Amino acid sequence: MTSAHDEVVGRYVRVEVEGAEYDVFYLEAGQGRPLVCQHTAGCHNHQWRELLRDPDITSRYRVIAYDLPRHGKSDPPNNTEWWTSEYRLTTDHFTGFVIAFCDALALDEPIFMGSSFGGNVALDLAHRRPDRFHGVIPVEGADYAPGFFLDWWQHPHANAAQVSASGTWDLMAPQSPLADRWKTWFYYTQGSEAFRGDLYYYSVDHDLRGQLGEIDTVRCPVVMLTGEYDYLTTPEDGRRTADGIPGAEFLEMSEIGHFPMSENYPRFKGYLEQALDMIASKKG
Amino acid sequence: MSSAGATTAVERFRELSDGDPEIQAHGRYFSCSYLLDMVDHRFLVRMHRGKVEELVTDPGPLEPYDFAIRAGRETWEGFCSEVPPPMCHGIWSATFRRDMTLEGDHLVIMQNLRVLTRQLELLRITGPLG
Repeated sequence: MTSAHDEVVGRYVRVEVEGAEYDVFYLEAGQGRPLVCQHTAGCHNHQWRELLRDPDITSRYRVIAYDLPRHGKSDPPNNTEWWTSEYRLTTDHFTGFVIAFCDALALDEPIFMGSSFGGNVALDLAHRRPDRFHGVIPVEGADYAPGFFLDWWQHPHANAAQVSASGTWDLMAPQSPLADRWKTWFYYTQGSEAFRGDLYYYSVDHDLRGQLGEIDTVRCPVVMLTGEYDYLTTPEDGRRTADGIPGAEFLEMSEIGHFPMSENYPRFKGYLEQALDMIASKKG
Repeated sequence: MSSAGATTAVERFRELSDGDPEIQAHGRYFSCSYLLDMVDHRFLVRMHRGKVEELVTDPGPLEPYDFAIRAGRETWEGFCSEVPPPMCHGIWSATFRRDMTLEGDHLVIMQNLRVLTRQLELLRITGPLG
C-alpha cells in the first residue's frame, strides 16, 4: 500500500434473496462493531465516502457500505431475465436483502444506518428483525413517505439522468459545501434507471402507519436523524414517527438536508456520534 | 458581485444569467419561455440557446409561455434571499411544502431542469425582481 492509498477496500460477496442471486459490491474500513450503511434511492455507496475515511469512527466501528443490487457496482440479479419486467423494490425484498447481506458477511450484532429509503428500511428492520441488529439509525426516515414515485424519473422525452440529479438538488441544504452537493448530484446522474423502482418502496410499499408501537427498542434501539432542509421526510415527519415508537430517540439536524452523509459530512458527524453514543448507552 | 451597467434586479438577473459559466456550459439547448409570478409583478423570461432573449415585466394577457412559477410574497422573499430558509430553497421544496405552484407544460420544466435550477438560484443574488 502506497502513501497515496487510504484504508478503504472494496470486495464482492454473493447474496441470495427471494430466489435472486446477486454479486454485491461493498466498501469497508475500520475495526469494531459493524456499522452497515445503506445509500439513498437511485444512488450508490460513495455517499458514505467521508465516513469510511474518518478515523474517529473507523477506530471504533467496522464501517461497511454496500451498493444495493442494481446500483453502483452491484449488478441486477445474475439468474433472472430482469430486463423483461419493471423494477419495483418491495419491503420484503429490501429487508430480506439486508438480512442476507449481513448473514453472508457473518456480522455479529451490527448497527444498521440508512438514509432516505435506507432510513425507511432501518425502521422496517427494527420492526421485523430486532433480534438481528444492535440498533438502527434511520436518517431522513419516516413511517410513511408518499409523493416521490413519479414517472418523471424515466420519462423518455426528458434526460432521465439530469431529471433524477437536479430533481433531488433541492433536497440538499444551501449551506452544504457546493463541491459535496455536486458530487451527490453526479452520483444521481448514474442511478436513474433504478431510482423510480426504489421509490416504489420509498413512497408506496413502505408503510408503518399504525405499526410503530410494535417496534421493540429494548432489543433494537432506534435513533432517528432528520435534516431541517429535507422537504420529503421533514423534521415533523421524523419527530412524529419517533413519537410513535416507544423508547425511540429523535434528533433534528440544522443546516442540512436529505443526504447528510454526502452533502455535509462534517456537520452530520456530530449528530452521528450522538446517535452512536445513545445506542451504546442503551445496549452497553 | 456587482455587474457593470445593471441598474435594476431584472437587468442584473439577465446579465448574471448570460454570464453564468454553468448555464453557458450546459445551456446549449435551453430554449423555452416561462413566467415568474411574484404577486406585485410578473416577469416573462424567454430563453434561446442558453441566453436571455427577452425579459418582459408585466407581459400582456395574451403573451404565451411554456410554464409559470407562482407563489405568495413570503415564499418568494425566502426563495430570493441569499440563504433561503427551509422549504423556500427551491422549486421542488416550495411546491411540496409551500404555496408555490408549477403550471403549464411540466415536460418543458423537466427537459431544462438542470440549467433552470441554476438560473433560478441567481435570484438569491438579485433578490426579488420586483
